[in-house]
Amino acid sequence: MKTAETIYEDGEHKWIAIVRDPKRPHYIIDTNEYLIIQDDDAILCDPGGGEIFPAVFSALSAEFDPSRIRALFSSHQDPDIISSLSMWLEFNPEIKCYVSWLWAGFVAHFGGTEKTFVVIPDAGMDILVGGLRLQAIPAHYLHSSGNLHLYDPKARILFSGDIGTALLPAGEDGLFVENFDHHIQHAEGFHRRWMGSDKAKRDWCERVSRLDIDMLCPQHGAIYRGEDVTRFIDWFAGLEVGILKS
Amino acid sequence: MTIANQRGQQLRRIVLINEEIKKVIATAFTINLMAMNAIFLAKRAGTTALGFGVLSNELRRFAIDLQKQMAVLSEMTYDSVNTVTALLKQARLNQMLEATAGICNALGKSLVKDVLHSRLNGVLADRQEESHATTRRLSQMLADTVQLVELGSVLARSAKIEAAYGGNLSVSLTQVSSDFERSIGEIQGSLAKLTKHDLEEAAA
Repeated sequence: MKTAETIYEDGEHKWIAIVRDPKRPHYIIDTNEYLIIQDDDAILCDPGGGEIFPAVFSALSAEFDPSRIRALFSSHQDPDIISSLSMWLEFNPEIKCYVSWLWAGFVAHFGGTEKTFVVIPDAGMDILVGGLRLQAIPAHYLHSSGNLHLYDPKARILFSGDIGTALLPAGEDGLFVENFDHHIQHAEGFHRRWMGSDKAKRDWCERVSRLDIDMLCPQHGAIYRGEDVTRFIDWFAGLEVGILKS
Repeated sequence: MTIANQRGQQLRRIVLINEEIKKVIATAFTINLMAMNAIFLAKRAGTTALGFGVLSNELRRFAIDLQKQMAVLSEMTYDSVNTVTALLKQARLNQMLEATAGICNALGKSLVKDVLHSRLNGVLADRQEESHATTRRLSQMLADTVQLVELGSVLARSAKIEAAYGGNLSVSLTQVSSDFERSIGEIQGSLAKLTKHDLEEAAA
């Protein structure tokens, strides 16, 4: 079963990371889900695939009433991101799914109706959770052609989808990056192969480096904190991407 | 056997049903062509093959009716695919919900059980009824088709008797009527298989 860890808390404003499942079948990639709570409202970032729904739901319900989740944020269209949509709709048929306009019609194959999807334009948009204003910010072509991240200016946390991913070996499954130089070797291959556009990467790094970020939270691997955030952005800016290793 | 496996087996059965339907449609098309030739042959034989001509005409109508009926059956199997697929999806959702209930704390378990309960009385009951209704319609249509083919078989046997009065062309007419009989026999074989699959479907 996964565990739910509170990574930020300020009164009724919380970020909960749902991470690591020791019982996960080895052929399914590990994922992190993030719940952002403000007062009585909550949004779940990249709720995950159908296969891991029981683990996510049970970990989440230990910390928060899942029927209060009003929205899902889908950074892109992949099955490990949003194929559990139909399960979440069972608990709340009114739940909204924020997703790039490019993918709404595709993600609908996982479930939902016309009313389920709130399409995000290429330029991004603000998303209100309780009284909290979150920013869906563009990360197109990193890796998906319609890709978005979610920034919380108050908590200074960026949910960065697949950017920052590290495919961690067994035994190295800490929630936070503790040794950047050691950690980044597990991120390199993934970023070189999955991130397809150098131009998009430079543009993202330039925009994101202007934000105040205390934590950069990827969908796979460990969370970058403090100086490791800038370290990661600089590392990524200098990385050659979109290449097939021969 | 799990519900998902049962549904998978139903889908495979529908594929087999569809294959038999295609065979019957192809044979009905052949009977139609054979009947057209038989009509011309009967005309050449003249008044002695008048009865054979009438029966060939009836066999042609039979072939056309059979083709139409099989097209409707084919549409019905398409409906069955839709229903079984929906049930398969629901079974999968249920499986995941049951797995979720098994590992949740009190709040999560109670939420999942409420959803499972309302699904059982709502969407699952509706889908199940839909599936039964489709199966009933399919069975009825199949029974009607068996009757129609029985009529075709009687026509083919009568044509064989009439062929004996075909004068100079009696040998050719007997050959044609034997071909009718053989083709209709093939259709009866296919329908027997379809009925077997239908019974298994109803039992599932």
